Amino acid sequence: MNALEAKAISKSYADHVALNDVSITVPEQSVFGLLGPNGAGKTSLIRIINQITGPDSGEINLFGERLSEKHISQIGYLPEERGLYKKMKVGEQSIYLAQLKGMSKQEAKKRLDLWFERLEIGDWWNKKVEELSKGMAQKIQFVTTVLHDPKLLILDEPFSGFDPINTALIRKEIMRLREEGSTIILSTHNMASVEEICDNIALIDKSRVILEGQVQEVQQRYHANEYQLKFEGNMIGFTNALWTNFELISKKSKEDKHEVIVKIAEGKRLNDLLNAVTSEVSIIEARPHIPTMNDIFITAVNKEKEKS
Amino acid sequence: MNKVMLIIKREYLSRVKKRSFIIMTLLGPLLFAGLMIAAVFVTQADSADHKIMVVDNDGLLTHYDAQRRAYIPNCLDCFPERDGFNYYFTNINPGDSIITDGDYTMIADVMNDVYVTKAVELLYESVPSISSTSRIERDLESAVERAKVMSAENIDYETYKRLKVDLRLNKINIEKGENAFEQERAGIGSGFAIIIFFFIFLFGAYVMRGIIEEKTSRIVEVIISSVRPFQLMMGKIIGIGFVAMTQFLIWVLFSALIWIVVGTLFESGMLQDTMAVSQSMSSGQANLDFETYIQQQEGFNMLLSINWTLMLSMFVVYFIGGYLLYSSLFAAVGAAVDNETDTQQLMTPIMLPLFFSYAIAIMSASNPEGFAARIFSFVPFSSPMVMMVRIATDTVTWWEIMLSIGILAVTCWLMVKIAARIYRVGILMYGKRPGYKELWKWLFYKA
Repeated sequence: MNALEAKAISKSYADHVALNDVSITVPEQSVFGLLGPNGAGKTSLIRIINQITGPDSGEINLFGERLSEKHISQIGYLPEERGLYKKMKVGEQSIYLAQLKGMSKQEAKKRLDLWFERLEIGDWWNKKVEELSKGMAQKIQFVTTVLHDPKLLILDEPFSGFDPINTALIRKEIMRLREEGSTIILSTHNMASVEEICDNIALIDKSRVILEGQVQEVQQRYHANEYQLKFEGNMIGFTNALWTNFELISKKSKEDKHEVIVKIAEGKRLNDLLNAVTSEVSIIEARPHIPTMNDIFITAVNKEKEKS
Repeated sequence: MNKVMLIIKREYLSRVKKRSFIIMTLLGPLLFAGLMIAAVFVTQADSADHKIMVVDNDGLLTHYDAQRRAYIPNCLDCFPERDGFNYYFTNINPGDSIITDGDYTMIADVMNDVYVTKAVELLYESVPSISSTSRIERDLESAVERAKVMSAENIDYETYKRLKVDLRLNKINIEKGENAFEQERAGIGSGFAIIIFFFIFLFGAYVMRGIIEEKTSRIVEVIISSVRPFQLMMGKIIGIGFVAMTQFLIWVLFSALIWIVVGTLFESGMLQDTMAVSQSMSSGQANLDFETYIQQQEGFNMLLSINWTLMLSMFVVYFIGGYLLYSSLFAAVGAAVDNETDTQQLMTPIMLPLFFSYAIAIMSASNPEGFAARIFSFVPFSSPMVMMVRIATDTVTWWEIMLSIGILAVTCWLMVKIAARIYRVGILMYGKRPGYKELWKWLFYKA
């Protein structure tokens, strides 16, 4: 079953269109990357899923049911702009937020102990939020998001503000939550983490979905018959040996060791490339070039720009 | 637990636990009591000359002295000689003309049923000072008491106490007719209007500041992913409203407590010297009990003449109405801006009617039956303040109160709806401060 199905969602504000016929499908128990440049419409979509606003048209199903008020307690939301009541004590505040999600006080307390231990949160219970460092406050915010054991977790830039150690800690917890059955929607600009933890992605640009699918499949799609070669020898000889079926995309040289990416024309194979150049240089390594999500992001968004 | 209840509870507890709230709650009544006592003592200063004609219709207090060809009091001590304060006695009411002609300033009309009614009519044209009327009251009281004692036999202390008279002056302005304590009651009414004004001003601003705080700390987005914006707004408004009611309730209880404590101290004699009783003790009265003293102090006496149950319950009703009305506007402004400095322009349309109503209420105190007072006791933006004055002066009928409350309730409902629409859009908007035009557009945004 799919955790979330958004079908043809459109939303416009007085002066601009935030979402234009956006559809996404998030399989259950997966991490879904919601990507896109700033102002693309990600936050609008997230707010609609959270029922903070409603769509102008389209429909959203959560675990096979039409999205409704009863789903509020099944969703955990960490907004990009973090915030807690500064003057309120950590323990009191965490319980309050959990109660707003429909948890009982006792239950919230029990789960808080568990999560404080997991995230190595010390004796902060009676500290006011304004006394905490930024990183500490972020941890508390993360705990308040997951405390009520949401089936769907929406995390907007969850790693921002964390040092590498805590980033790893949070990543570990996200993976654990998925293992335990949660579905996670991750909105981020950190493409490395997308490759690492996302199962599926959707790229939204200018209020439309311009790319979506499984991470590996998307990378395959953008792979485009490119190969990475490492060789020793003369660079000029190498380039001369390439004929019309091959295109040099990039090159990096260190003394007479070289690293290049070559695009092979449709219908040709790696063997053809190797045949062409082995007489000129000695090959050290040859493998298909998988584009990073970063490259894909830039390529896809730029392509859209050219279209318009 | 209901989510709105949770929000109300948080808003309430987080404020009630604050040190500033506790200090204000404790100091408030002391401040009020101090002001009231000061006001009474200030008004005691008296400079005008008084000639008071005491009409002893049945010869209870006076007898005719053939030698002097005048009525003189049975108890001369009861009407001591004072500079510029003279009593004259007669047995037939000579009519108001002796005042209008300027021969006398007041007529005290003692009827034969004074033992029963315990009241003496006091007629005047220009309003006498409080110290003058309380002096007359005391003098007549001791004279009436003396008369009762004379007529009784074998006086022991118990009997004496039974014969003691709490005399009341029914003050009648010969021009305007009878309306006991009209000015003083209006004063109390405007006092309530002032409290409502300050509570709306103070706690309305709390609502606004609370919303700005939630918005700038960005927690609002987390909260409204759990509750509807309307619930958050109403929770805040109601929670802070309860804080105001708590403060008021504590003030009322405190005032009652101060009343009792001061009364106890007074009766034990500790306060009598300091409270300027000595000047009036020349007639040789023994220890006073507190209530008698208060009755003698006209500034306080009128406190006893007010229907406090009605006043306090109407205060609650009108405070709730006025507070809901204005605080929802404050909420809308709070949601529309990012920080407090941006509120100035948007506050104007709230502050104008609020201050205007305050001014009308104060004006109504001097003319509670005037045109402005009547009209603005129905206008919802001013009725919470103006109506308090009219209720205090007893110049309204019950249907007027009902109508005024009804109009207020409907307007509140409408205003809360409007505020909720602006709030819903505003709390997620950051950046440029919206103008009135944008706010108007927000009203029609789809949720």
